[in-house]
Amino acid sequence: MDLVAGRTFPAERRPLRHLDPVLLLVAVALSVAGLFLVYSATHQSLRALGLDRLTFVKKQATALALGAAAVVVVASIDYRFAKVYAGLVYGAPVLLLVLVHTPLGASSAGAQRWFQLGGFQLTPSEFMKVGLIVMLAAMLSEVRSEEPSLQDVLRATAAAALPMLLVFLQPDVGTTIVLAAILVGMLVVAGARVRHLLALGLAALVLLFGAFQLGVVKEYQLERITAFLDPEDAPAAALYNREQAEIAVGSGGLTGRGYLHGTQTNLDFVPEQHTDFIFTVVGEEFGFVGSLGLLALFALLLWRAVRIAFLAKDAFGTYVAAGIAAMLSLQMFVNVGMVVGIMPITGIPLPFVSYGGSSMLANSVAVGLLLNIHMRRLT
Amino acid sequence: MTEGRAGFRLKVLAVLVAGMFAALSTRLWYLQVLAAERFRREAENNSVRLIEVPAPRGRILDRNRVPLVENRLSLVVTVNRQELGDDAESVLLRLSELLGIRVRVLAERLQDPRYYPYQPVPVAQDISKDAWFTIAEHPEEFPGVDVVETPVRRYPRGRLAAHVLGHVGPITAEQLDQERFRGYDRNDLVGQAGVEAVYERWLQGREGIVKYLVNAAGEPIRRLGERPPVPGDDVVLSLDLGVQRLVEQALSSGMEHARAILDPDTGRYLQADAGAAVVLDADTGEVVALASRPTFSPSIYQGGLTTEEAARLERPAAHQPLFNRATQGAYPPGSTFKPFVALAAVRQGIASLSGSYPCPPTFTVPGDESGTVFHNWSSSDYGYLSLASALVVSCDTVFYRFGYGFWQLLPPAVQGLTQVARPDQEVLQRELRRFGFGVAPRLDLPSVGSGLLPGGRWKFETFRDDWQRVDPFNRCIAYWCPGDYVNMSIGQGYTLVTPLQLATAYAAIANGGRLCQPHLGLRIERPLGGGRVEVVKRIRPRCRRIRGYTPEQFAYVRQALAQVPVSGTAASAFAGFPLDQVPVAGKTGTAEVPPHQDYSWFAAMVPADDPRYVIVVLVEQGGHGSTTAAPIVRSIIEGLYGLPSSGFVSGGVTD
Repeated sequence: MDLVAGRTFPAERRPLRHLDPVLLLVAVALSVAGLFLVYSATHQSLRALGLDRLTFVKKQATALALGAAAVVVVASIDYRFAKVYAGLVYGAPVLLLVLVHTPLGASSAGAQRWFQLGGFQLTPSEFMKVGLIVMLAAMLSEVRSEEPSLQDVLRATAAAALPMLLVFLQPDVGTTIVLAAILVGMLVVAGARVRHLLALGLAALVLLFGAFQLGVVKEYQLERITAFLDPEDAPAAALYNREQAEIAVGSGGLTGRGYLHGTQTNLDFVPEQHTDFIFTVVGEEFGFVGSLGLLALFALLLWRAVRIAFLAKDAFGTYVAAGIAAMLSLQMFVNVGMVVGIMPITGIPLPFVSYGGSSMLANSVAVGLLLNIHMRRLT
Repeated sequence: MTEGRAGFRLKVLAVLVAGMFAALSTRLWYLQVLAAERFRREAENNSVRLIEVPAPRGRILDRNRVPLVENRLSLVVTVNRQELGDDAESVLLRLSELLGIRVRVLAERLQDPRYYPYQPVPVAQDISKDAWFTIAEHPEEFPGVDVVETPVRRYPRGRLAAHVLGHVGPITAEQLDQERFRGYDRNDLVGQAGVEAVYERWLQGREGIVKYLVNAAGEPIRRLGERPPVPGDDVVLSLDLGVQRLVEQALSSGMEHARAILDPDTGRYLQADAGAAVVLDADTGEVVALASRPTFSPSIYQGGLTTEEAARLERPAAHQPLFNRATQGAYPPGSTFKPFVALAAVRQGIASLSGSYPCPPTFTVPGDESGTVFHNWSSSDYGYLSLASALVVSCDTVFYRFGYGFWQLLPPAVQGLTQVARPDQEVLQRELRRFGFGVAPRLDLPSVGSGLLPGGRWKFETFRDDWQRVDPFNRCIAYWCPGDYVNMSIGQGYTLVTPLQLATAYAAIANGGRLCQPHLGLRIERPLGGGRVEVVKRIRPRCRRIRGYTPEQFAYVRQALAQVPVSGTAASAFAGFPLDQVPVAGKTGTAEVPPHQDYSWFAAMVPADDPRYVIVVLVEQGGHGSTTAAPIVRSIIEGLYGLPSSGFVSGGVTD
């Protein structure tokens, strides 16, 4: 079954026969683990509020089902169509990012981030990541020379800068960083010159400094970052999150306190635990062993992503896979790093695991793309 | 397939990713394996709260087990600072309006450093039930505000025996460091004065603890366990509620009456602004009543002394109401001292029970070149008097002579003013110390005064500098001179005694020569429930025979003093008193405390033939002994023996 121009393939080259089962299984395992962890993180407070203890789990399961459908759809259509429609894939979330600033968007904690659609929240920045990957891959795969020229680099940077700016203004520093990582990761794989990359980095630093000086960055973000750099001098509220997260993870010990038995988790000591701080549940209830287990799943996932980048039939596929690898690895690192106290606190969800439909859906699209590239490496 | 340079660059990406995993795993190893123990403890501290259940403090009972201090439940408003939220100011404003307490005061109490941030801080006591309902019904208007029922002290007799009972107050930082307060928390209430302080370890009890699992908001989720509170033990005092009330009333009304009397010495009305009274059981040293004026209401300490109340107590016009004049006030004993000087003189052979002594109006130290003249209180010549009569009419010149006799017992070098006497060489002081003068009685109250029994060494150390500065040729400024003994013999000069010391000494005369340390505590009782009690400690009298004196000598002095109300200095004050029914032995005293009006003393033993009570009354600026103190003692005795009250019978101007 293949939709591309109704072509038929010899049986051994049928895409479905070349599915990457490891990738699929790992993604499913992470998502299912996520359901259990979200339950652990939320059931007590929901019960205390007199609500259905499965409220969050049910929503997340719905998102997972939608994600599964997305995987099927995305994997079915030849990924090379994505290159053709890159403008659309990139443009749509950019448009939404603009619209989210209008009264159509909903805000929370001083940030303008999503659309409320019935019981679900649509967060365009999640889809922006995939959109940017596809756009950059389309642009970079058109580079004919051995390495991208300065012009190519600048064009790619410009393509990334627009959504980065929009996301930064929400403000969402975390996603901005992820978008930047996607750009850098893909430029590296595309062979951009080191000095171009360094110039880019320098420009980013200057811009960032300017943004701080002009007060574009909101105070709570500054506090979180200064709390990381200088815990002695930080306001109590900024320290609280990281302290409670570290206590949760550390108190898990080697093997954890057992599922649903973490006191930090059960008694609501960790804020935003079902989203950004979901890793604390693993740390507290499953210990060092469980933490490494979850990290191992991510390692497998990333290994498959990098491997698919290797195996891809064309440069576009390589770049898309590399971009996805860059995106997932950075999110994983920044999220877990923040929970264990080696990275500043930025609101980045843990892919597949954190509660959040948009993130789940966007990551599913990414997995669909990876499967797609893998399936069609021979056709 | 991707090959060549792109492949190499993909490997770079892969290595970067591997680095991320390495970093995360290392950190996790540290958190979950190396430091896990610490974090486990912190998680425990996070989620387990110990909530203290105050133990009811033991009661303080009088000798008939009538409560003098007990507990009641008070509605206390507490505020949890962590739950006040952003709107603390308006919450405090609403509380202020509801409770009628100024916002500034509430905010001040909230800052109390004795409470941990998560601990609720009490900000108001004894609020009305209505206020309680208002707070309970509108939790959204009072976030973090709670009303709890807390046991607090109750004083069913009001101000009665305030100086004895003392009060409880928050433990101080210094106390927390002391060994005897080990195990106390910084927000504990402890006895800070009086019996409350001395018997703290019995009264306190042990607080109960309930262990709760709490969530991040500090709300209890589940009870994990508890240790029930152990109520404090009751302290039974030797105080007799009826006698105490009688003594306090007599003292107050006597002082009141005295203020209407013109003092012939100063031409002004007597101030009579302060006083003290002590009633001891003559045989055991048990304190039956103890009062000090002015007084205060112990309940002002409830919930902490406010600044206004503290200021009111410290005003000069308030005359230091917290000061326990019965145990801490040191006064010249005046003539109440004479029986002890007489006994010492008899023991040293200076006087004898059968001797007779001239009582001229004046006395001059033999060989004194300065010719200083010491006067009797009366200008008439009484001729020759027996020792007993000398006591009855309180003849000063007889005792001046005895004082000079003690001077002559000093070593020649001391008499030559070239050497300071060792305390053991000063015979009069040595004898007086046997009666407890110059030594703090071991009463079970905090800071009991020791008075002052001066001697050569004390005088030299105190006045050496003055001597060198004022007049190096006048050695009597710094050295003990005959005049010092002359003054001491009539209870003047530098000698100071507390009313309690004097009562203790008179008790020794009353009981035939045993010095009993006065005590307030009789026993400690542990309530067992159902009205039964277990006596966990009995406080026994501590008496010691005073060596060197015979019972006959004490009996002689008692008999002599029994004549004082009959024909002596207190005769007018006891006019019409049925001495045949209740014989009274007593001694007046008029202490000169320039520039003040005279201080009025009376020390009594009743009944005189076999004394049961010793009563000592002192009134500052109360005039002569018979003017104010003796009439007060008379009313006390009338009350004790159920005699008809004769009101306030002020005696004439006698010593």
